[in-house]
Amino acid sequence: MAGVVGSRRVRRIEAALVYLALAVLAAAFLFPLLWVLGLSLKTRPQIFADVPLFLWWPTFEHYADVLSRADFLKAFVNTLIVSASAVLLSLCVGVPAAYAFARFPFRGRSFLFFALLVMRMLPPIAVLVPMYVLFTKLGLATTRLSVVLAYTTFSLPLVVWIMRGFFEDLPKELEESAWIDGATRYGGFLRVVLPLARPGMVAASILCLQLAWNDFLFAAVLTNNATQTLPVLMAGFSGGDSGVDWGAMTASGMLVILPVIIFSFMAQRHLVAGLSSGSVKG
Amino acid sequence: MGESSRAAPHGLTLPAPARTVGRGVRISLDRWFTPFAVLPTFAVMLLVFGLPLLFSLYLSFTGWSLSQELLGGEFVGLANYQDLLDDPVFIGSLGITFGFTAAAVAAQLGLGLVIALLLNVDLPYMRVFRTALIVPMMITPIVGALCWKLLLDPSHGVFNYWIGERIVWLGMPGTALAAVWLVNVWHSTPYVALILLAGLRSLPSEPREAAAIDGASRLQMFRHVTLPLLRPYLLVALLLRTIFEFRAFDNIYAMTGGGPANSTMVLSMFTYLVSFVRFDFSLGAAASWMMLLMSMLLCLAFIAVIRRRDAN
Repeated sequence: MAGVVGSRRVRRIEAALVYLALAVLAAAFLFPLLWVLGLSLKTRPQIFADVPLFLWWPTFEHYADVLSRADFLKAFVNTLIVSASAVLLSLCVGVPAAYAFARFPFRGRSFLFFALLVMRMLPPIAVLVPMYVLFTKLGLATTRLSVVLAYTTFSLPLVVWIMRGFFEDLPKELEESAWIDGATRYGGFLRVVLPLARPGMVAASILCLQLAWNDFLFAAVLTNNATQTLPVLMAGFSGGDSGVDWGAMTASGMLVILPVIIFSFMAQRHLVAGLSSGSVKG
Repeated sequence: MGESSRAAPHGLTLPAPARTVGRGVRISLDRWFTPFAVLPTFAVMLLVFGLPLLFSLYLSFTGWSLSQELLGGEFVGLANYQDLLDDPVFIGSLGITFGFTAAAVAAQLGLGLVIALLLNVDLPYMRVFRTALIVPMMITPIVGALCWKLLLDPSHGVFNYWIGERIVWLGMPGTALAAVWLVNVWHSTPYVALILLAGLRSLPSEPREAAAIDGASRLQMFRHVTLPLLRPYLLVALLLRTIFEFRAFDNIYAMTGGGPANSTMVLSMFTYLVSFVRFDFSLGAAASWMMLLMSMLLCLAFIAVIRRRDAN
């Protein structure tokens, strides 16, 4: 039939069009980032050249400069400490709750579960206003602890949501046979379920780590120069216009996003579940 | 799987005497497992979420300043809410927030659907494109916004170089709002694309096959088969993006700070400025509660959607 030959050709043209469309979209989506990456690898005169350079010999002077700045390194360490502590706290508190939500029916279960979802979704600024006042009165404002507590408002619900989905997918027979063999609920959870849940905990940690690392609002209000995180340090660059050191700004920006991009690719399979708070499985 | 399920529990077998003696104790302890597991989470959430929100409700009904005792504010009834409704900037920010949210979500859904459909075509190397297209959503929002600020810079930005003019994009109300919108669309379209792609991949193939046998065209297939099946995913994406665009803050803070002439003053920005620049926490609390009530409505809609889907 003539149609078969024709359809193969049509299919090839279609494939070319799909690739073309995707290439254009990918170029548009990546351009801002690639351009700024380019800027970070130019010398100061090259950055401000009247005609933008598209080919040049890259320089790493801005990276060397940023990495030798005390405020950048301090902010890096602060970000790492508060993000990791928030994730750890959320895991310790949230994983048992997620397991109970997945396995044991109890009164108010679905209400409590959706309450957690709502908490994840309410505007952070609304929690931050009273939180700032309370922390100031308690003498906690500008400490790293205050930022960690603020981050649990989003990371704890996220851990519970993701881990519940994960526990629901684990076969129930595993714990049940442990119980029959005399294990308590506690023992069954700690020694049978938890080791199997490790991949889920890794995914949940990465997603929370990404959110905490990227947070600006909480850290902007709850930190000072000594405790500020990287996004807060970055925002400091947006103050002036041409007076800003573009080299340092672009190089620090690239260094800030490098770890998150790495985390995100590690958890790529779980991204959909995380960003839709478990309501869509990836 | 069967192997490990049998092997693992054996290591847990308790010594026989303990099992018989401790049985009653064990059962009663086991009954407490759920409360023990769930309570810490709710204790923490009450502490970091419930308590602040209650306090903020209290603040919103008082005239309170940072120098006063924690509960030393004077009760003023609805005066703070009245002040908000009399403030043209607040009323303006309501309109900007709704318009901005609607425009950003509409663009994200449209573009996200296109990207998801393209990525769903069965061709080699799709993973490469998928990976490239989701990079924006991974980036720290503040850094993404700063990147765009450099591209849009009036004197050294590459956009102005291309068009050969010196437009101050972030200095004029119309273009500033459009720029902030563009950055939000750039940043969050990948979320929508991923949700819809997951949806497309989970669709049953029978309806499409049946439609193909009936001789449906590509367009008919999309309109009458794919799109209706994808509806639950579109709805989830729509509500999630609405909830998250409604609280947009980082990009706007870094790019315009709410200006010029309050043209990008979304509710989060307004609340931030009132609370942390003017230090009027009572007014800030009232604005927060207005935002909370509106986003709770959105959340309830979201929950209704996913509960209905789970029930089916």
